[in-house]
This record gives sequence, structure tokens and C-alpha cells, in this order.
Amino acid sequence: MAETLQNLALGFSIALSPVILWYAFVGCVVGTLVGVLPGVGPLAGISLLLPATFGLDATRAIVMLAGIYYGAMYGGSTTSILMRIPGEAASVMTCIDGYAMARKGRAGAALAIAAVGSYVAGTVSVVALMLLAPPLASFALRFGPPEYFALLLLGLLVLAYMSSGSMLKALAMAALGLLLGMIGIDQMTGYFRFAYGVVELGDGIGVVPVAVGLFGLAEILATAGLAAPPQVIKPKLRELLPTRREWRESAAPIGRGTVLGFLIGIVPGSAHIIASFVSYAVERKLAKRPQEFGQGAVAGVAGPESANNAATSGAFVPMLALGVPSGPIPAVMLAAMMVHGVSPGPLLIEQQPELFWGFIASMYVGNVVLLILNLPLVGVFVNLLRVPYPILYPSILAFCILGVYAVNGSVVDVWIMLMMGGLGYLLRKLDFETAPIVLGVVLAPMLEMALRQSLAMSDGQYSIFVARPISATLLGVGLILITLGLRPLVTRGLDWRARLALAEKGDEHP
Amino acid sequence: MRLSRVCSLAVLATVAVASAQEPYPSRPITMVAPFPPGGIADLTARPVAAAMEKVLKNPVGVLNKTGAAGAVGMQFVATSKPDGYTLLLALSSISIIPEADKLFGRPPAFTVDQFAPIALISADPTILVVPADKPWKTAAEFVEDAKKRPGQISYSSSGVYGTLHMAMELLSHAAGIKLRHVPYAGGGPALTAVLGGHVDALASGPAVVLPHIKAGKLRALAGWGDKRVVALPEVPTFKELGFPDAEFYIWAGVFAPKGTPEPVLAKLRDTLRAAVNDPDFKGAMEKIETPIVFKQGAEFARVFEADAGRLAEGVRKVGRIETR
Repeated sequence: MAETLQNLALGFSIALSPVILWYAFVGCVVGTLVGVLPGVGPLAGISLLLPATFGLDATRAIVMLAGIYYGAMYGGSTTSILMRIPGEAASVMTCIDGYAMARKGRAGAALAIAAVGSYVAGTVSVVALMLLAPPLASFALRFGPPEYFALLLLGLLVLAYMSSGSMLKALAMAALGLLLGMIGIDQMTGYFRFAYGVVELGDGIGVVPVAVGLFGLAEILATAGLAAPPQVIKPKLRELLPTRREWRESAAPIGRGTVLGFLIGIVPGSAHIIASFVSYAVERKLAKRPQEFGQGAVAGVAGPESANNAATSGAFVPMLALGVPSGPIPAVMLAAMMVHGVSPGPLLIEQQPELFWGFIASMYVGNVVLLILNLPLVGVFVNLLRVPYPILYPSILAFCILGVYAVNGSVVDVWIMLMMGGLGYLLRKLDFETAPIVLGVVLAPMLEMALRQSLAMSDGQYSIFVARPISATLLGVGLILITLGLRPLVTRGLDWRARLALAEKGDEHP
Repeated sequence: MRLSRVCSLAVLATVAVASAQEPYPSRPITMVAPFPPGGIADLTARPVAAAMEKVLKNPVGVLNKTGAAGAVGMQFVATSKPDGYTLLLALSSISIIPEADKLFGRPPAFTVDQFAPIALISADPTILVVPADKPWKTAAEFVEDAKKRPGQISYSSSGVYGTLHMAMELLSHAAGIKLRHVPYAGGGPALTAVLGGHVDALASGPAVVLPHIKAGKLRALAGWGDKRVVALPEVPTFKELGFPDAEFYIWAGVFAPKGTPEPVLAKLRDTLRAAVNDPDFKGAMEKIETPIVFKQGAEFARVFEADAGRLAEGVRKVGRIETR
């Protein structure tokens, strides 16, 4: 412990040096922007800016890139709450209740809670990263394809809690999402599936164009179709801050979101999206008034927004402790280290203590910077809602197209987004919810890959899923969840029998 | 109205004539890296472009045109104007993709003969690594065990028909063994899999596995090069071990679209020869621990053809993968 504190002091002496502070600040600002822009997520932001860091030294470059990563998680909530456009993929769940809160005039509160939740999650998970990185990292490595498959299966169960309307409709939408997720190169055999000669479809349908289309464009189209333009919300200054009740209701979700997000984040894979989905489902399950979800439940903002931030720190665990590229974003950051002549590997913490501890300390500092940056911005962003719709919506549309194009420089992605916008509009008119489609598109490729990799590992033996302790445990948890889900059926059945019994008794003794 | 149209046509014509006569290069050159930033193609393309810029005193920008395992960016260059302003930094996979397309009977995204090879920049042999807690201490033990238990030893790769898959297939055929292939979506996840012990082996570029070998997490058994890897002098090559056909390199080369005028190609060859001797370029390649191997013109074309032939045969030998 004393050693950790000593190292941390070393880290802070680095992180608080004006130069590093400056790069952390720049990273946070860029990250916030990247998060706010619809479509452009942290991966695109980091990729675009990676070449600009080649001239810097390793610590500065890493501090700045990390700032972009977690900064994007702060910024991602903004457009989700204000306009129902996911600023990046992990903010999809925030669209639902965040936007509902905004329609009730609570946009400021939602933004503030998202920022504070992100701050708490960011800071707490850095502490966890600092204290637990080496042991957790070796645990994370034990997540191979079978474990990942079991985890994703748990993710699918989340579906049951995602929809507020008809379960049948939610399942239909999830099935549509899973089908859309099947498009692209079959990773196991190299076949092109449903690509119809379009090479760009080889990589499948991206989450970003689907999410931006289904949520953002559909919302714009639906608004345009209203007989009378919706009332422009004029937020008052004193309504910007969350009420005491809203604070109270978000405290526990922020805590749970942090723990959940961090744990899911350390698993190699693209976990921050799943973290936010799972957190939303958990909050809904635990809520006293689950019927409020979808209508502006503050827990539906606090949980997922904390979870996606904690997941970013979680993803750094295998990266820093073992030099393992635990996801696309850590992979780019590892490349950045290599460019600077730092060999990322299990010996990184030993050989480059100033890099590791400087990085950790800079994340504490960065989270404070982001909070200071984002809370005042709440007032600015909320005022965007004052802009009249005929001006606001076309500009948003332009930003959506730009953002989605910028990610891969692909016009095909823009077309996918436009088509999804049309589809989303239709589905809204028919009263379908679109979040399960996004979940399906996210999960399908991962789930399929993990299943088939597991079977390739075991030469086709399905027993691999129960023979390995972690996957067996996860599957067991899933089974328990299903059983718990079925309980109301059984108990209601008992009620019915009990009532009948009572009635019969009543017949016997009039 | 008519007059203005005639005028604008005249202006256009003048511009066209002028551009035909102007010396090359007179506007920015784009170097397409068909993989995302941070990958080996990108990490090679950026210092190459920077060094070319110095030599040519003309901007050279890198464009990451990614998708479909590089096919999107390669197709983009194959179909762009052959004027020397759009270049491609390709990896070994350039000769694999059209062959795989052929295998599935689909219209190819591009073919190898749509490109004019300009120069080879780097070539890095893959090396065979296994988790340190696996029993095999030498490549001979590994091969022997694989013969005893056909299809039981597993390996990860960057993807089906990807470079790391091909390296292992070439070894399998050279040694007459059968291994179990578990493809991953990229080299990063493939490395994670072998570090986690979920698969038994991986063929990888030396740079990314060196830190893990040094830390005692992975063991290197042999290399696919014709010489030993400088950083791992104690690790033999498969050639030394009696498998001369197990030869494979992850190389990076610069290509132009076919039909680029010869003077432009000559200028680019000279530029690249000067660029690879630039100290900044050498420093950048040293940091990513990738050896510079420069070959140009006919010499590069010969190497490229031999490599393409080897890989095409590799793809055909693998054939279509049927899963149960």
C-alpha cells in the first residue's frame, strides 16, 4: 500500500506537470466533442487523431488518447438526452429515458446526472484499475470464446427487461437486429453473406449507422410528420439542476453501474456497449416503479452512463497490466505505444513506471477536468433546445450524415443510416421499439463468432460450455434469471388454484 | 448561355492540357493504407509518406480506407486514375484476397494485375509461438506431437485466409501435419487467445510477441524466414529444420494502379529508394521493430510474383472451408 501511494505520488507529479495536464485537457475536450458529434465514437476519434500524436512522447500521447476515450463517454450522453441521437454507440440506452426526461423539461437534470455519474464511475474505476490491475488482468485473460459466449447469452436475456411494451414486439425487433447482424463475411469460412457484391458490406452493418438512423433520423422524421410543430422547450435556469429526489434515485444506479461496467469492461471484447445495455436492464429490474422506464426514469440515465464510463477504465486493465489488446480502442493505444518505442507487455508497469503511474494519475485529473468542463456546458447545451425546429433539425441531419461518413469514410454507411432512419420511422408509427434492434446488431456477430470459435476449439463438442468453470457459472446465472422470470407464472398459477380452493371451500360452507 | 458554355469548355480544356504537361508531382499525393490506424500497414505508410514528402518536397498524405480485410482500400486504388497521385501501401494479403474470391466463384473485388508494383519496403518473417506452459520446447517436438494427434493442436489467426492463417497452412503442408484452426477477428484478438491459453499456438510477426517472449509468457519455436530473426538469434528457422516450403513474410510494399506512366513510376522508385534511407524513417521502423527490406522494379516484381504464387497455392490447398 505504501508503495502504491509512493508510486501514485510519482504519477501525480507527472500528471500535474503543466505539459501533461495540457495534453490531458486537450484529450478531454476532443473526446467531449467526439462524443457530442452524432456517429463519431471514441474509436473513430482516436484513430483520426493517432497520427497527430506521433510527434509527442509516449506518456503525452497515451494521456491524450485516453482522454479522448473517456471524454467521449461523457460527451456521448449529450445528444442522446437532448435529441435522441446516440453520440456514440454506448449511449443508445441513454436515448430512451434521457430524451424522455428532456421532453418533460428535465434535460438539464439528465445531463447533470450523466456527467456526475460518469465522474463517479470514472474515478472509482481508476482506483480499482490502480489497485487490482494485475490480478484482474490474469482473470480477464481466462475469458476465451466459451466464456464470452456465455456472457453474451446473459446479454441477450437483458432483452426481457428492455421493452416497456409488448414482449412479442420486442422479440421480433431483436430477431430483426440479429438478422441484420448476419450480414457480412462469415468469419469462420470467408463466405460473403447477403453482401450482393457490395465489398463494403463485407464488414457487416455497423452499429453506428444503425443506431443513429433508428433513433436520430426516425425522431427527426416523426417530428416533421406532426401536424403542429412541437413546443420549443424553454428551460429555466433553476430547473437545470437535479432535484433532491432525482439525486436520491440515481445514487444507487450510479454505484451499480460503476461496478457492473468495470467488471464487464475488463473482459476482452467490445464491452462498453454491452455494459450500458446490462446496466439499463438491471436498473429496470430493481426499480420500485419499473413502469417509469421509457417515460423518463432517472435511473435509466444514471446507470448506463456510469457503466459505459467504468467500462472504459476496465478495458485498460488487460491493456496496461499485460499488454493485451482487449478491444479495438486499446489496440490502437497499444500501437501508439509501439510507435513511441514502448513495448507494451506484461513488463510495462515495471519497466515504464512513469508511464503507467502518470497515466493513472492523469485519469484522476482528467475526470475532474471533464466534470468541470461538462457541468457548465449543461447550461449551454440545454439552450440548443431553444433553437427552432426548422433550423435545428436540418443541422442535426447534416451532422448525422457527416459523423457517420467520417467514421469509415464510407458512403455505404450513410445509405445504411438513411435506410435505417426510414425503417425506424415506420416502426415508430407501428409502435415498435427500436432499441432491441440495436442490441441484436451488436450481439449477433459477437455471439456467432464466440459460439463457432468455441466449437472450433472443442472440435464440435458442446460440453465445452459446461466443462469450463467461468462459462458454466455464467450459464448457471442465466438459468437462475430465466427461472426467476418464470416465477410469476407459477405463483400466479398458485394464486389461481388457491382462489379456486377458497371458492370450493366457500361452496361447502355457505 | 451558349457562349458561356463554350467558354467554360475552353477553360476546362486548357486546364486539362496544362495538367498533362505539368511535371510530376505538382499536387498532393495520397497513399492509401487499406487497414485502420495503428495496424502495421498504417504504421509503415505514415513514415514512408513523411519520408517521400521530404524527398519530393510535395505533400504525401495517408488515407485509411478500411474494410473487408483490406479489400475496400485495395479496390479503391485499383480503380483510381493511374496518374501517380493515388498509391497503395499493401501487405501480403493483396495476393490472397483475389484468390479467395476465385475460390468462392464471386466477382473479384480486384485482381493482382490491376497494380504496378513500385517497391518493397519491409519484410518480416512470422514466428511460431506457444504459451510458455505448453509442453513443446522445440519446433521438432511440436511437429512430432501434431503428427501423433492430427487435428488436436489448435492455433489462432487474424482471420480465415488472413496472413497468419496462411503462414500456418504453409507449415502444415510442409510438415505434413494437421492443426485445428480457430480464426479471430484480427491479430490483436488472436494474440489475446494464445496468451490466455485458449489455443495452443500462433504464427505472428516478431514485434508484437517479443515483449511476451521476454516476459516468459510465450515461447518462440521457429521462424518462417530464410534467416533467423535478429532479436531472437536462438530461434531456428523452419528452413534449417528441414521444411524449406514453410517460408512466409508479412511484407509491405508500395503499388500504383496499372497504367501509371513509366516516367512517373521511375520517379516514385527513385523517391522510395531515397526515402528508405532517411534517418527519421529508419528510426520509425526501428521503433515498431520491423526490418526494412528494400527491393524495387523488376526485383520486387519477381519477389511479389513468387510470393503471390505461393499464397495462391496455399489458398487453393485450404480450399473452401466446410464447417459442420
